[in-house]
Formats: sequence, C-alpha cells, structure tokens
Amino acid sequence: MTPPRPYALLAELTYRCPLHCPYCSNPAVASAVRSGDRARQPTSALRIAHATAKDGELTTDEWKSVIRDAATLGVLQIGFSGGEPLARRDLAELVHAAREANLYTNLITSGIGFDDDRIGALRDAGLDSVQLSFQSDDADLADEIAGARAHRRKLDVAAKIRAAGIPLSLNFVIHRRNIDRLPEMIELSEMLGAERVELANVQFYGWAFLNRAALLPTQEQVTRAREIAMEAKARLAGKIDIFYVLPDYYETRPKPCLNGWGQRYLTVNPIGDVLPCPTASSAIPDLRFENVRRRALDWIWRESESFNRFRGTSWMPEPCRSCPQNEIDFGGCRCQAALLTGNAANTDPVCTLSQNRARVDAVLRDINASTPKAFGADWTYRVNPKTLKS
Amino acid sequence: MPIEIADAAQPRLAKGVRLQTDSATGKSVLLFPEGIVELNETAQEILSRCNGRTFNEIVRALAEEYDSDVAALAADVRETLTDLHQRKLIELT
Repeated sequence: MTPPRPYALLAELTYRCPLHCPYCSNPAVASAVRSGDRARQPTSALRIAHATAKDGELTTDEWKSVIRDAATLGVLQIGFSGGEPLARRDLAELVHAAREANLYTNLITSGIGFDDDRIGALRDAGLDSVQLSFQSDDADLADEIAGARAHRRKLDVAAKIRAAGIPLSLNFVIHRRNIDRLPEMIELSEMLGAERVELANVQFYGWAFLNRAALLPTQEQVTRAREIAMEAKARLAGKIDIFYVLPDYYETRPKPCLNGWGQRYLTVNPIGDVLPCPTASSAIPDLRFENVRRRALDWIWRESESFNRFRGTSWMPEPCRSCPQNEIDFGGCRCQAALLTGNAANTDPVCTLSQNRARVDAVLRDINASTPKAFGADWTYRVNPKTLKS
Repeated sequence: MPIEIADAAQPRLAKGVRLQTDSATGKSVLLFPEGIVELNETAQEILSRCNGRTFNEIVRALAEEYDSDVAALAADVRETLTDLHQRKLIELT
C-alpha cells in the first residue's frame, strides 16, 4: 500500500501558555491527577509536558526545516498552535518560512501576547488567518475557566486582528459550565465581526479527560445548544459561518477522526516528536513516536510504525472490519478507544455497534443523574511545563 | 437560498481564500481556514479569470477561448460560481 500524501501540518510550537484551561488537549501532567481519578497517566506524557519548557523545544532553524520538509511531502496548510504559539518570539519568522514554502498559514491562539507590533509583524509575514479562542462571553466566567485574566484582552485583540485585515475565526470552547450561554456567545461573535465561529464542545482527551465529571454537559443542555446553534446558523447564513460540534459521547456513530489515521494530517509537537494525532502521545502510551531530530519527516510519514499502525482498514477488529461504514468513519478515534477501553485498536466506543458502548453510556448516566449543584464540580487547572532540573 | 449572480457582478476570491497549484498533483486548489478544495478544470478556468472582470466578461472570455456557445457556458459558469459563493469561497462586488 502506497502511503497517501499529507495535506496539513499542526505545528505545536510550545506547550507554554498563559492560560490554565481545565480542558486543554495538551498532555496532562501526573502530579495534577487527583486521588480517586482512574485516568491512566502514561509516563511519556509526563516526560513530554515537562521537557517542553523552553530548553527542550525545537529551534527556529529546526522548525524551518520541518516546514520545508512538510511542504515537500505535499502539505498545503499549516496550523501554528501550542500551548500558546505567541510565546515563541520567532513566530513571525516561522510564518514567513511557511509562506515561502507556499503553505496556507493559520494561527491558533488565545490572543494573549498579541500586541500591535506582533499583529503587524505577522500580517507582514503573510499570515492568512487567525483562530482566536474564547472561554465564554462573560468576562468573569471566562477568566475563571481560563484560570487567568484574559477575556478583556481577547476582546481587544479580536478588534485589532480585524483592523489589520486578517480573517478571523472564533472558537468558543463549550462545556457544562458555559453551554447555557450559547446565545450570548453568538451575539458576541456578531459584535466582533468574525467570519467563522466554532461552538465546539470539549472532547475528552488530555486535561479534559481528567476533568470530565465537571465538563461533560447534560443531554438537555446539549439538545438545547444544538437548537440554538442551528437557528443562529440559518439566521446568520452569508454573514457568519457557524459550526456546532457535539461532544462525541452524545453521538451514536464515531467521527471520521483525522479522515483516517496517517491519511491527511500530521502533528509535530514542541520537542519534535511527529504524531499522527495531537492527543496520541498521552492517550496511547504504547505507541512510540519518531522525532525530527533523528529521522527524516518523509520516512516518519511513510515508514514509521506509529503512522502505519492504524493506517487503512487492515488493522481493524470487528465490528469495524466487516462494517460498510469503515471507510466513512475509519473506526472513529483511536485516542478515545484507548482512553475508554485501554486498547487503541478497539472500535471507538462512541459507536453503538461497539461492544464497549456501555462504558460511554455509564458516563452519560452519571452525568445526567447528577443534580444541578454538581454544576459547580471541581476541576483541576492545567499546569504549565517547567524546566526539569536534572 | 442561493442568490442569483447578476451579469454585472464581479466575483472575487473571498477574504482569506487562496488559489494555488498543488505541486503534488499539478491541480488547482482553494485554501482557506481549516479547509482545502480541489478544483476541477472548469472551476479553475473560471476562477483564474475572477480578477475584476464581471460575470459577463468572464463568460465572454471563456467563450472566445474555447469557441463555445455563450448561453450554455453562462449557465455552467453561473452554476459553478453559485456553488462557490454558497461555500463562501468567493464574494461578489
């Protein structure tokens, strides 16, 4: 089987971030796990999260060669992400390098660290679009969720991005604590003049998996939110593109995760590990990832065990193996299978055909049986990487 | 509801959308936030002429180049542009 060519690279430039969102998809750190949590904490995630303070990150030149190599492989788009990519002072230089390689450049940011000079520098470097995250429309709630005073600065940053003429997408991260404010979030999006708005329910990987009991919305909340989002989508058609993303747990068929493992996407994390999926390093502890410091990107994409493990359909067990949907949903999400069943090769348990669907139903039952006072359930804030003193 | 594209409308790539050649396939693609659309030859021929020309001028330019019937061509061009407009990949001025 000839491997396909990749289309998009997610460049996780750093895991440093001024925010502490309890749903961060970056690898969670073991020390933050509360007693009683059953989350498995792979040591590799611990190593990565800690080794990724500034000293362990790829250098500017290393990133430039990753960008060039990715373009040669066929990549057409790059998302600069993190952590907070603005924490890298060389961001504009990397955007410039990506434009030179003819890539479409998207910055995925909290907005913190975006001053006038940097917006100008990024625009001049050729940045094609910005996706700005919001925790809520309400400043107090947003700041509580982020664990930082960030909301008012984000509003200011959104206006500045617009003024600079850079296309702006907003990403509202939705969960149990803020999902009831969807109408206000949509109103804010209109006010900020965004072209595109994602109302994306948290999916449960990384920190969100640890904090699931506090974050997963109820059936009633999800149903109402979908109605509100669909109404707004119709009302604002031609003005704002609205995307509403349901939590996987409430689906009955799995999402076509990544459009298939090792088919279209690759992620390079801050220390240069190349991942088929950004959450794979923490969710699938038995996968060994190759690093751009030791191997050519082309080899990693085509030949490495981690990219080939779940490529195509031949790895699939039943019920996926004989399922007519298996080239539509590709068996769903490997990370979800690993986190919920302990085996990444299982059918995504979100699928009602999976023998493990009962595990998802049990989680939903607990959430939907809980009383409103559980809405204040505690979560653990994401802690940021520190340099390990060795 | 799709809007009717007027003869005098000037279609352009929408803000944030780039038209370029995919060096892996030699085909034209539209790149935009979080998405890639591979263009068929017709769409590529049309879009490469969306540079300030009106709808009518685009149709005429194509009719001359391919020596084809203007009315039939106009219908094809309108269909393609309407589709791209609905997907917010072009805007009309």
